[in-house]
Amino acid sequence: MDRILVDFIKALRGTGVRTSTAETLDAVAAVKIVGYSNRDYLKSALATTLAKTEDDHQKFNLCFDQFFSFNALDSYGEKQPAQKPPESTAARLLQSLRPQPPAPAQSQSPLGQMLMQGNPQQVAVALAQAGAAANVNQIRVLTQKGLYGRRMMLQMGLAEMEQEMWNAEQSTDPQQQQLAQNLREAREQLREEVRQYVERQLLLQAAGESRALRESIMLETRLDNLREFKDVQILVRKLAKRLLATHSRRRKVFQRGKLDVRTTIRRNIAYGGVLLETHWKTKKVDRPKVMAICDVSGSVSQYAKFLLMFLYSLTDVLKNVRAFAFSSDLVEVTQLFEQYDLNDAVDATLKRVGGGSTDYGRSLQTFADLCLNEVDNRTTVIMLGDARNNYGEPRTELLRQLHARSRQLIWLNPENRSRWGSGDSEMKRYRPYCTWAEPVQSLAQLERFISHLLRYNH
Amino acid sequence: MTHDLSVEKIRQGFAQAGYICNPAIAMTMLLAYKLEKPVLVEGPPGVGKTELAKATATLLNYDLIRLQCYEGLDESKALYEWKYGKQLLYTQLLKEKLGDLLKGTHDLPSSIARLHEFGDIFYSEDFLEPRPLLQALRAEKGTVLLIDEIDKADHEFESFLLEMLSDYQISIPEIGTIKARHHPIVFLTSNNTRELSDALKRRCLHLYIPFPDAALERTIIQTRVPGVNEALREQLVGFVQQLRQLDLKKQPAISETIDWARTLLLLHTEALSAETVESTLNVLLKHEEDITSVKDDLRGLLAKLVQRK
Repeated sequence: MDRILVDFIKALRGTGVRTSTAETLDAVAAVKIVGYSNRDYLKSALATTLAKTEDDHQKFNLCFDQFFSFNALDSYGEKQPAQKPPESTAARLLQSLRPQPPAPAQSQSPLGQMLMQGNPQQVAVALAQAGAAANVNQIRVLTQKGLYGRRMMLQMGLAEMEQEMWNAEQSTDPQQQQLAQNLREAREQLREEVRQYVERQLLLQAAGESRALRESIMLETRLDNLREFKDVQILVRKLAKRLLATHSRRRKVFQRGKLDVRTTIRRNIAYGGVLLETHWKTKKVDRPKVMAICDVSGSVSQYAKFLLMFLYSLTDVLKNVRAFAFSSDLVEVTQLFEQYDLNDAVDATLKRVGGGSTDYGRSLQTFADLCLNEVDNRTTVIMLGDARNNYGEPRTELLRQLHARSRQLIWLNPENRSRWGSGDSEMKRYRPYCTWAEPVQSLAQLERFISHLLRYNH
Repeated sequence: MTHDLSVEKIRQGFAQAGYICNPAIAMTMLLAYKLEKPVLVEGPPGVGKTELAKATATLLNYDLIRLQCYEGLDESKALYEWKYGKQLLYTQLLKEKLGDLLKGTHDLPSSIARLHEFGDIFYSEDFLEPRPLLQALRAEKGTVLLIDEIDKADHEFESFLLEMLSDYQISIPEIGTIKARHHPIVFLTSNNTRELSDALKRRCLHLYIPFPDAALERTIIQTRVPGVNEALREQLVGFVQQLRQLDLKKQPAISETIDWARTLLLLHTEALSAETVESTLNVLLKHEEDITSVKDDLRGLLAKLVQRK
């Protein structure tokens, strides 16, 4: 049964719940204690070991109900073993006209026996085992439904049962005739169960898979090819949230007025143990101070939205971010980002400065006028842009000044390294004044970079 | 009774201890006991997260050790501290003895060697002040360790807890690693003021306690405030359940329902009326805006209550 559990966890991961191997082991241990017999117990045992946030719990409940839906099989249990599946009115009428039907002979094939006995748990277990053996969890597309269904039925021993059924049909004995009839009905019902099982699996596996697949593709896709805007937004949020979760621990801790006894005693050894000098506990972890400057001109119009979106997420993650945007001239957009939500802020920014012809020189000058004084040795300056300056004056000396004053200057260029310096790109001339210059063409690269920034920059 | 625990037995035991719970809570408790894993309990304030730890301690007849977290909590408050005062005092007192001790030594190296013979007397367990975590590890019999409101503590403290939670041991530089004599049952509670780290969550079982449904809440009131008659119980629980549907700043929790039931009992209330509710609303709701907005709507809410019956 462990295999079923592993399949379930796979499906759970597909819905977006992050489950580690350690948690899987916990779940296995928990199931060993609880067993599969009580559905509610199973559910709460798995929930407590696998779903670790409220959000996860909701996903878990949905996934569990789809995966372990024994309900379909309960229909077996509520009927008496001898009873048949629901029949059409016509068939019932026909039967009532018939003389008392002879008691059917016992089925000899294992599958036949199991279906006739109609123990729902047993059938559910057999279904799940056959499903595992037939690798139904590999199902990806709708058209494979028939194939996997057939495989499962064969796995359960359908061939043997059908053989028995045909033999019984040939016989003239009314008991055998009745058996054949019952077996045929059982087969129909089994077929229905299998079909439902396979469909559920498809829903679970394929749905989860496709979302994960789509997200991983999106992460690696070049920014200018990303058109599914809504999904991208969710993804960017996810990235930002992940960054926030990993890095929010770099909080500033200040403990004023608390004596560090250990250090105080140590410091005062020199005075023969007489406490003359006190030492206080202070711990200060700096958060990076970031100034980000984003190019939103015509040449990067395809990227601008994403760069801005990321800039926006960055302001969410880090407290001390000042954001600037420019094309022909530069404006500060920090306030915009604070006031509006993502979409409105991006739109407003593009409306204010977007689409113009690029002037790096003038924009750098404006930036220097605005806040060169505030750039200090704790500040990281991030430039987002392609450095295509329409053959204008690049004003590299301003960048040099920035570089000298700041802790680091990072340039993220949406163009490939090979295109730097070609045509009107001034990247080659700016490059010497960057602590770092990286091509950033996909969200994955962007995330990697920001994570790096947060880790080494405080 | 501890060897053959089952979900039903736990529920019964909890009920005897005055704690009414749903099967999910009992199941988590069972797994925590059998798998020896800490439990992270989340949920809105006042749904009985802390009570759960207390009830568990009563059920298993264990001692309850409680560690209240707050910003700035560090290991010297949570784990251990050297008794610096005692150390200082002893060194001062023993100063005179120093001459006797060093008798027979002639040069510095031999005096130092003599002093070394006394080892780390000042860093032995006699000078160790155990704090809750160390108490739980060194306890002679099983304990329930309640780490309350872990989300209020700093991230550093959270990481520091990891060793304790996964291996039930803790390292003290001067003494070495201290292993638990009996694995304590650990409850961590969180009000979700910030996201806890994945590492911590991975090591814990997770339990989310929501507001109870009407039936469960009635049972809770019946157990905790037995004096309230059935009709009133039904009414007051129904009313609180309705309040939770409203858009309030702080929704009334179980503890507030219990308080309200007690208040109504004191006032000899037989049935809810607009006047009694209005005058006792401040027991249920803790924000002025909430009280005003509910007061405006009070008659409507009570009318609905009657209709449903």
